Amino acid sequence: MALPKRIIKETERLMAEPVPGIKAIPHEDNLRYFDVEVHGPSQSPYENGIFKLELFLPDDYPMTPPKIRFLTRIYHPNIDKLGRICLDVLKSNWSPALQIRTILLSIQALLGAPNPDDPLANDVAQRWKEDEPAAIQTAREWTRMYAVSENR
Amino acid sequence: MGAKIPRNFRLLEELEKGEKGLGADACSYGLANGDDLLMSDWNGTILGPPHSVHENRIYSLSLHCGENYPDVPPDVTFVSKINLPCVDPRNGKVDPTKLQCLSQWKRDYTMETILSELRRSMASPANKKLPQPPEGSTW
Repeated sequence: MALPKRIIKETERLMAEPVPGIKAIPHEDNLRYFDVEVHGPSQSPYENGIFKLELFLPDDYPMTPPKIRFLTRIYHPNIDKLGRICLDVLKSNWSPALQIRTILLSIQALLGAPNPDDPLANDVAQRWKEDEPAAIQTAREWTRMYAVSENR
Repeated sequence: MGAKIPRNFRLLEELEKGEKGLGADACSYGLANGDDLLMSDWNGTILGPPHSVHENRIYSLSLHCGENYPDVPPDVTFVSKINLPCVDPRNGKVDPTKLQCLSQWKRDYTMETILSELRRSMASPANKKLPQPPEGSTW
């Protein structure tokens, strides 16, 4: 099956006009499977971190959202231990008008605005609500341990 | 041919299916270690099929999905002792040449496929009355 035009166009644009702080490169042997890097937003506990993710466009994309998860360990109330992400636009609020680029921007924004009231990682969310400064401190430490390049 | 789903997303699908309990009757599986980002090691259980020597027994297995899964099948080992022709009596390893879903592995087969076939093998007329080690013993 040839790659749909929509995916070719999105890929070309991602390469030609990359979003600052976001990289998405398709695998040569599977053009629906992307290696992704997202820089942690400045002024967030993830600042200076470079987070690796993987993204896959299923058969019925864009009628269904891309599948995406973190490969770098991250301490965040909406991201679980396996890197799965709780984000409305990846689930019920997906629309075919959204794109890889907009989804990755939403994920970057989620790093800047954790939402402990809609948690995926319950233990992290709990801590975030009970002692936010301590949770943010842990998020900073994890960023340094797992997402800063000299330590990778 | 449709999109080729990469290893990790395939394993996430299997995990979600296993967690929701949509898996095959009497078989279950899950990650051995809930924060293993590589999702390599899995635990499986098979409830012994009725009308066989295995009835009411629960068998534990371990499954290892390497980096080329699902292009190649996982390594499957019984943790609980069992007497079955496809299982190495020395260490519990399932011999991939003796279980059809492993010897003729296809990319769309899953861990559920394997556990279900093992359970069918336990219930087959040739195997259902084989003498078994004491219940609950392990290798």
